[in-house]
Amino acid sequence: MKNILEIRDLHKVYARGTHALKGINLTVKEGDFLILLGLSGSGKSTLLRCLNKLIDSTSGDITINDEDVVKASGKQLRHIRRHIGMIFQQFNLIKNLSALTNVLTGKLGYVSLGHSLTFKQHHNDIKLALKNLERVGLKDFSYQKIKNLSGGQQQRVAIARALMQNPRLILADEPVASLDPATADSVMKYLGELNKNDNMTVICSLHFLSLARKYGTRVAALKDGKIVFDGKPKDIDEKRFKEIYGEDAEEVEIR
Amino acid sequence: MKTINKIKSIVKAFILDFLFLVYIFGCISFLAYRWIEFRIENKFILIGALVFTFLFFFIGDSLGRKLFFPSRKTIHKWFKSFWGWFMVTGLLITFIVGWNLVEVDFVKFFTKFKNAGGIMSGIFDPNFDILTMSLIALAETIYLALLATIFAIPFAFILSFFAARNLMPKTIIGNTVYIIIRTIATIFRSIEAIIWAIIFCVWVGIGPFAGMLALMIHSIAALTKLYSEQIENIDPGPVEAIKATGASTFQTWIYSVIPQIISPYLAFTIYRWDINVRMATIVGFVGGGGIGLLLYQEQGLLRWHNVGLLIWLIALVIWIMDMVSAKIRAKLTEI
Repeated sequence: MKNILEIRDLHKVYARGTHALKGINLTVKEGDFLILLGLSGSGKSTLLRCLNKLIDSTSGDITINDEDVVKASGKQLRHIRRHIGMIFQQFNLIKNLSALTNVLTGKLGYVSLGHSLTFKQHHNDIKLALKNLERVGLKDFSYQKIKNLSGGQQQRVAIARALMQNPRLILADEPVASLDPATADSVMKYLGELNKNDNMTVICSLHFLSLARKYGTRVAALKDGKIVFDGKPKDIDEKRFKEIYGEDAEEVEIR
Repeated sequence: MKTINKIKSIVKAFILDFLFLVYIFGCISFLAYRWIEFRIENKFILIGALVFTFLFFFIGDSLGRKLFFPSRKTIHKWFKSFWGWFMVTGLLITFIVGWNLVEVDFVKFFTKFKNAGGIMSGIFDPNFDILTMSLIALAETIYLALLATIFAIPFAFILSFFAARNLMPKTIIGNTVYIIIRTIATIFRSIEAIIWAIIFCVWVGIGPFAGMLALMIHSIAALTKLYSEQIENIDPGPVEAIKATGASTFQTWIYSVIPQIISPYLAFTIYRWDINVRMATIVGFVGGGGIGLLLYQEQGLLRWHNVGLLIWLIALVIWIMDMVSAKIRAKLTEI
């Protein structure tokens, strides 16, 4: 399999002086389901946001699909971004718009300004959006406002929005951290399905080792801005776990 | 570093003591002139203040030292120290000077009540013969307030995006645009609508149009500030998410900023209309048209029964506007 993502010696120092990433080296192969583990503040969110340049990195190289992300700007950056779906802990949907409109915004990277103001006239877009909502099991909720949906439903709308981009790569920043265990598993199931059936590469930060073992094909663990473990999920034993999360940590099972 | 800070606080303490003493001596000289027509020359005030500043500074017990440069010698019980008694003197003298300047005279308040008899009888016996004319003037006021609000919306709407810190890029151009718009808005807002009305009465002539322009300028400045603060308070999450889909800056604004601000914008705009109706009455007094102008003319002619009717009408409209706008705003914030 070919490499979809290559990161070389990536550093990020915030304006206030926090050194969030200290030389990350990572390659991700097409079709991987990579889980990022690590404590809050270990640099997971920063790393994910550097990948589509929501945050500018300080030094180092990022290559996605043979395109240089760090140097990209303007139109070129938009073209890179539109092939990368992103899912957030807080869902980041527009709460007073319908699920359908929110899903349609996934198309923005592909269309002109005029087109994006008249989505309702473009039946192909609507059809595709409805199909993607159906895929996440929310066809009946298409015309509901987001704020009337539950947390799990909102995250599924966010997945449908990412699907609208027809992405090769999905970045998920703690997608299940604000959901209850049962809902969390169902949301992860959708991501797993996209990985297996559509051959989309997923990079997903998580807190629960059980979910990492169930869905991940590979695990990378961050600690203080460095990668301290890179391997198979099943290789994380108690010793490794304590290395990642500190001596006092106990593994909490969720099923 | 430590010595610089020490010098800084000594200078601060000294300046504070000096200004405070100049103020107290100034007040004393004012009172001396008012009461016994004794004039103290300005240079004596300054010299006296300087001498006393040095004196108390080297004693080590003064207001400035207490605030900026406390040492072990400083006495902390106020009634045992000079700085405490300075404070008391300052407050007392301020009150006495204030009483003098405002010409407080409570005896007048109680003995001269019958002077207001005319206007009181007017209020309790309004002249309904001028009702039609008054209603027309009232309509003028409401409409000029409405038009001022409507004309202000597009300007404020566009300006607010450039006056929002979170939307402006952190480059020199972005910061300059932000600072210029914010500063102009603040200056225009701090000039009262009544001043703008005086300007426009000269510019376009007395009448409702001048009043409308005055309110419009003031509304643009006020709404720009309110709108842009609303933009600064939006949830940044959706902005990030839309950006991540590959949307352009403009598309990001349309799909993540505008949906979040539309109902608070409406609420602010209706509130602004409410304020403009109140201000339109005042603006009328200097020639801005509407019911304010009528009220000004009638009270000048001492037609108290007509004034009575106008006062009732104004109160009624403001009460209704207040209620309606509160209801609508409550509905809007629910959405």
